[in-house]
Amino acid sequence: MREAEIPLKFVSSNRRVREDRRFVAGQGHYVADVALEGLLHVAVMPSQHPAARIVSIDASEALKMPGVHYVLTGEELAKAADPLMNGLDTPHVKRYPLAVGQVRYAGEWVVAVVAESRAQAEDGAEKVRIVYEPLPYVIDSEEALDPSSIPVHPEHGSNILLDRTFVWGDVDKHFADSPCHLSFRVTWGRNSTVPIETFGVAAKWDPWREILDVWASIQMPKYSDQIARALRIPLNNVRVHQDVDVGGSYGVKRGIKQTVIVSHLARRLGRPVRLIEDRLDNMRAGDAHGPDRIFDVEVAFDNDGIVRSMKMRALDNAGAYAGRAPFQLGKPIGAIVGPYKIQSVKYRAISVTSNKAAQEAVRGFGQAPTNYAIETAIDKVAAALGLDRIEIRKRNFIRSDEFPYLIPSGTRYDSGDYHTVVAKVMAHADYNGLKRERDELRAQGLCAGIGIAACLEPSGGNSSFEPLLNDANKTTTFMESCRINVDGLGFVTVTIHTTSSGQGHETLAATVVGEVLEIDPDQIRVVRPDTLNSLPSNSPVGSRMAIMLGGAAFHAAKKLKAKIVRLAAHQFGCAENDVIYRGGSTSHPGSNRKLTWAEHVNIAHRNFHLLPEGMEPGLEATHVLQVPTANKLPENGRVQMYPCHSFEFHLVLVAFDPEIGKPKIRRYVIGHDCGTVINPHIVKGMTLGGIAHGIGASLLEEFVYDSEGQMLTQSFMDYLLPSSHEVPQVEIVHHCTPSPFTVFGQKGSGESGYLGSPAAISGAINDAVAPYGISFAKLPIRIAAISDAIAAAKTLKEKAPS
Amino acid sequence: MKLDIGGNETIPTSVDALWVALNDPAVLTRCVPGCKNMTEIAPDNYKVDMQLRVAAVGGSFEGEIQLSDKRAPKSCTIRVSGAGTLGHGNGTARFDIEPDGEGTSRLVYKGTGEIGGLVAGVGQRILASVSKHLIGRFFIALRKEFESPLGGATG
Repeated sequence: MREAEIPLKFVSSNRRVREDRRFVAGQGHYVADVALEGLLHVAVMPSQHPAARIVSIDASEALKMPGVHYVLTGEELAKAADPLMNGLDTPHVKRYPLAVGQVRYAGEWVVAVVAESRAQAEDGAEKVRIVYEPLPYVIDSEEALDPSSIPVHPEHGSNILLDRTFVWGDVDKHFADSPCHLSFRVTWGRNSTVPIETFGVAAKWDPWREILDVWASIQMPKYSDQIARALRIPLNNVRVHQDVDVGGSYGVKRGIKQTVIVSHLARRLGRPVRLIEDRLDNMRAGDAHGPDRIFDVEVAFDNDGIVRSMKMRALDNAGAYAGRAPFQLGKPIGAIVGPYKIQSVKYRAISVTSNKAAQEAVRGFGQAPTNYAIETAIDKVAAALGLDRIEIRKRNFIRSDEFPYLIPSGTRYDSGDYHTVVAKVMAHADYNGLKRERDELRAQGLCAGIGIAACLEPSGGNSSFEPLLNDANKTTTFMESCRINVDGLGFVTVTIHTTSSGQGHETLAATVVGEVLEIDPDQIRVVRPDTLNSLPSNSPVGSRMAIMLGGAAFHAAKKLKAKIVRLAAHQFGCAENDVIYRGGSTSHPGSNRKLTWAEHVNIAHRNFHLLPEGMEPGLEATHVLQVPTANKLPENGRVQMYPCHSFEFHLVLVAFDPEIGKPKIRRYVIGHDCGTVINPHIVKGMTLGGIAHGIGASLLEEFVYDSEGQMLTQSFMDYLLPSSHEVPQVEIVHHCTPSPFTVFGQKGSGESGYLGSPAAISGAINDAVAPYGISFAKLPIRIAAISDAIAAAKTLKEKAPS
Repeated sequence: MKLDIGGNETIPTSVDALWVALNDPAVLTRCVPGCKNMTEIAPDNYKVDMQLRVAAVGGSFEGEIQLSDKRAPKSCTIRVSGAGTLGHGNGTARFDIEPDGEGTSRLVYKGTGEIGGLVAGVGQRILASVSKHLIGRFFIALRKEFESPLGGATG
């Protein structure tokens, strides 16, 4: 077959996102919409104490309540199910869906009450009498790290889950040789993605077929594997329905403990059972919390502002259980130097347990906090030398002719053109004009500041951080699959093998298959079979699906096209190379013969006698895609993390009244390069949403615990989300540097905006308050903190002897 | 979180009558906001069932009340502890009753409490004002006990 040089027709074009219609019309099909006959409902009873021994549980009154069927305790469940999977090799940090013997955070689930309705289950839960004996607890990360602290899991011996130091390159020499050093501490507050739909799951057990059906609002790699392992049943007894719409996730829809609870109950009670978290369940214990991290950073640089080396200590508070939280310290190793040519790095990653809710994955998997620390370092170097903050970034950037670029920690960056993106943004925003605007605002008596962030979004997620941080883990693949079937009437159906949480995978798969087969994507059906009918796949995490599902769909379509060409060559009696494929039809210029799409279909489905020898009937192709560039285990603490690296450059102008301290974002410009864009609307949506998410992380959102271990921000009265008042108009400046490692040159964009906006907004606030000689070293920077700090600085100035 | 309460209230009755009323579970059940039931389990020891609503959350609360250091009819220490769906809490307060003119008494109270669990998390910003409001409701109900000669405040 001749590869015709034709421009992309559907990829990158302005096409509607097919999923949006049903979501906008309110016709999504979520887990709460799954109607099951005889469904029972669960309400959970949480612990009120941050740490306590469970002395007794008396369910007798609860069981007398109307509609109540059953009260499940942790003791019973622990007999029937194994502890949930730990990421690290920490066998004594046992996590059960319901607390066994001891509670380890305020809000931890202790019993599950099953009733005919959720309301009856909640009324029943109120009647369960649990007697606790309070135990000592630890909340603060540094305290938990202290060897004398009380271990959250006494059997584990300490609160340290992970303490690894990596040295990549000659850090000592670079520090000794550099004339300038500086060090600082910044803290990233615990926040979340707060999906509109809380987690929900329904399960049904059919004893005659021995099959467990599960419907869930899920975004969890190896979800069905984990259910089967916990319940000790064969994996082919678990059928997860993946055609359930997920009302938001960005990492937090992990749901394994909830699923084990309802699955056990469904088997125990012989009726389908469902658990839909309410907002309080979700905020306190619903896998909602993200990284909670203190960074101590030291950089060595020369008088021109060239950063030679960096030492970073990241102390992360995992909460009461291990889960995947420690891995969120591992993924940023793949972009530990950001877009800069820092030659050596010493990185100490520490994860500790505490009596807070267990941390789970949140958008970026630890990268946004790390980017915030790196960008703060660059800002501080600029301030130390009196250099412009953009100029210093340009001096340190990797140049476009240096890719693929190997960073000290072992990852090869695929491609990028950081200088061009920055130049485009500076031209678009009129950087000098923006500085003048800031100065004019200051002259009016306002605080005004410019924030800058240049950040990477590693994408195409694999799980290289697992073997890097856990020697017992030898995983080197994190595959994704696609199958295409052309039916007997010539219609095309594409299957994808995971759930989606709003990333537009149906649009993605149809666009790619349509592009390769040169047929209208709108005519392509995309379906999600259940897990028993699925090919090996993982999950739409790690900003990976444009690369992984897009890649799998591309290769499957190529295989299908090759089969059509071979079938046609056989009819034409010519070599495959002499067949021209165009728009679903084939032709042979030499003999002037042609075959239409319908004729290919007819031959493949009905005329076995016309098929080339050895060809299977039908028109079907599958592809299982390995993550590009992932091919070996880590060596000497170095590993190729994700294959692709999108780039984003943020330029923000913030102003506020110094007395009130409420920041208003007056201008927000982002330069964005995620390689070839498959659907511009999806990328735009991700970027705008990511920036809104970052505004929350930098100014508003935090799960705050008081000194008594109680979470103070459990509802939207106290846990503040950015609204249309806080989110500004965002101007997006596009650039495209294709990745050499992907089929169309695409990179990921699922975390775009979020990975740099907290750093940029923090930089803008700190620029705004710089005239007062103060700065903020902890996110979120809340309104009260700003006005209090300015008032204190003014008082200090007035008192100071002149 | 810690909570401090304190204040003084004028009640239109004699010191002796007020003392009797404050030691009567039936009167307290009527006056304590949300109190469903109050039973004596030992001398000066009561078990209470309450139903309360604070901010976005509501639920039941089961507790114990102990009276000690009683010096009839003038002063007494009251200790409350309990737990429920709303959270857990405990507190101690001292009451002093003194005459305040003809047929009127003054009740002076001062105490501290500690509250944890859901109510501390969800309602912390408003807990101080909620407690003031609840105390206010208690005294309104208590005054009604004496204003209405038939004890008709039950309705």
